[in-house]
Amino acid sequence: MTGKYNIEVYNNRVHYFLTVKRNITILQGNSATGKTELLRLISDHETNGVSSGITLLCDKRCTVLTPVDWELRLSGLESSIVFIDKTAGFIKSKRFAELVKGSDNYFVIVTRDDLSQLPYSIEEIYGLKNVSDNQKYKSYRRIYNEMYKLYDFNISKEFEPDTVLTEDSHSGYEFFKLLYGEKCISAKGKSNVYQCIRDNSDKQILAIVDGAAFGAEIGKIYRYLDSNQVKCIIYAPESFEFLLLSAGFIDVPDDVTDETWKYADSKLYMSWEEFYTDYLIKNTYGTIYQYNKTRLAAPYKTEGIISKVISVMPDELLLK
Amino acid sequence: MLRIFYGEPESQNYIFNPDAFFNNTYEDEWITDPLSKQMIKDVDGSDVVGPRLIDSPFLGPVPAERLSGGVKTLMLMNFDTDHIFNASACGDNCAPWILRIAQNKDLTIRLGYLMDFGKDPFDIEIVNIHKVVHSMKELNESVLDNRLI
Repeated sequence: MTGKYNIEVYNNRVHYFLTVKRNITILQGNSATGKTELLRLISDHETNGVSSGITLLCDKRCTVLTPVDWELRLSGLESSIVFIDKTAGFIKSKRFAELVKGSDNYFVIVTRDDLSQLPYSIEEIYGLKNVSDNQKYKSYRRIYNEMYKLYDFNISKEFEPDTVLTEDSHSGYEFFKLLYGEKCISAKGKSNVYQCIRDNSDKQILAIVDGAAFGAEIGKIYRYLDSNQVKCIIYAPESFEFLLLSAGFIDVPDDVTDETWKYADSKLYMSWEEFYTDYLIKNTYGTIYQYNKTRLAAPYKTEGIISKVISVMPDELLLK
Repeated sequence: MLRIFYGEPESQNYIFNPDAFFNNTYEDEWITDPLSKQMIKDVDGSDVVGPRLIDSPFLGPVPAERLSGGVKTLMLMNFDTDHIFNASACGDNCAPWILRIAQNKDLTIRLGYLMDFGKDPFDIEIVNIHKVVHSMKELNESVLDNRLI
């Protein structure tokens, strides 16, 4: 499944809007912000249709997957947006991860726990926010909910890292080592990023991670940074390959990076990180820029390419 | 004192879905208890009209079954002494109430995320490693260093 879908669902008391554009979207937030109510409306609408008194507007079928015979039901779903509540224990199972991989459906999962077996994006973790006006609030009328993104990191202009940490241990690490020199170290995988930050917590840290698949880690790290007041910036572009595609040294239509949802088919790619890597490999094959994820080819180490990649990175992250 | 098990407990008295458990076990007196009323008002923004009627600013008049999963779990923590409840059903806005309930009883809960218990000092035992911590800094470090979640 590809595409970006607006979902609007409402009855005479509550009104929700949300947009999904990747195979996995996570809903989090405080208690009583309406997450369960959202799923109840979708479920009621699916069961009773127009008779439910609920309006659901979306170009795709929206359905709620419960623990009862979930594998069987999921196997019969395609081209749908599948909502799952935190009360479904299977969302943490290996089997669920296997079925998400290659699925023709998008998944919207309500959970506060991290789902480490799923490569979801930090960009697709949302909290429900109420935006009703006072009059409606007081008269028990409809509450309008919009989605807001968690984890928007502000980058200070005064920031000067002592340590630059990359999640990547191969091409991405090689590239950033050229940029930041001996300050740059590799965490050798996303599950080690916390420990590397912890080991360097007395320093100013720039941590570069692949945002497209770092969703399960970001909450823990954010809480750690917050409670320990560590001077660390998390820079989370979609992936290193996304930066290379954005740099413009090969001919890439703008919407491949700007509107990736048009291309990254959930049946083929578990995350956009996989899509960007595949796209880069295919589109540089047989050229001097032939890309290899495990070892950075010589042309990528030239000043011209480096300056092009720098031009798509935030100025504040570059050494002064 | 509050005791927290991080991860997936295997004990038979663990309740993974406190929302459903509440719906099938709660007593009318739980709803009208003064502490419950305060928690319902604070977390859900709702007023208790009676044991079978809650006045919600979002949903209108609803039965107790339509309270949030968070506040249902809080009431279970307060009134049920036989089970360990999954506190991942509770958001950060439930944390002060969990600490308050644990002031009056030994309370063991399960968590799968780093709930924010605020800036004031507290006593929380991390069950997995038998360690008592007193701040969010200490709690988060202990949970993450030991890869409990």
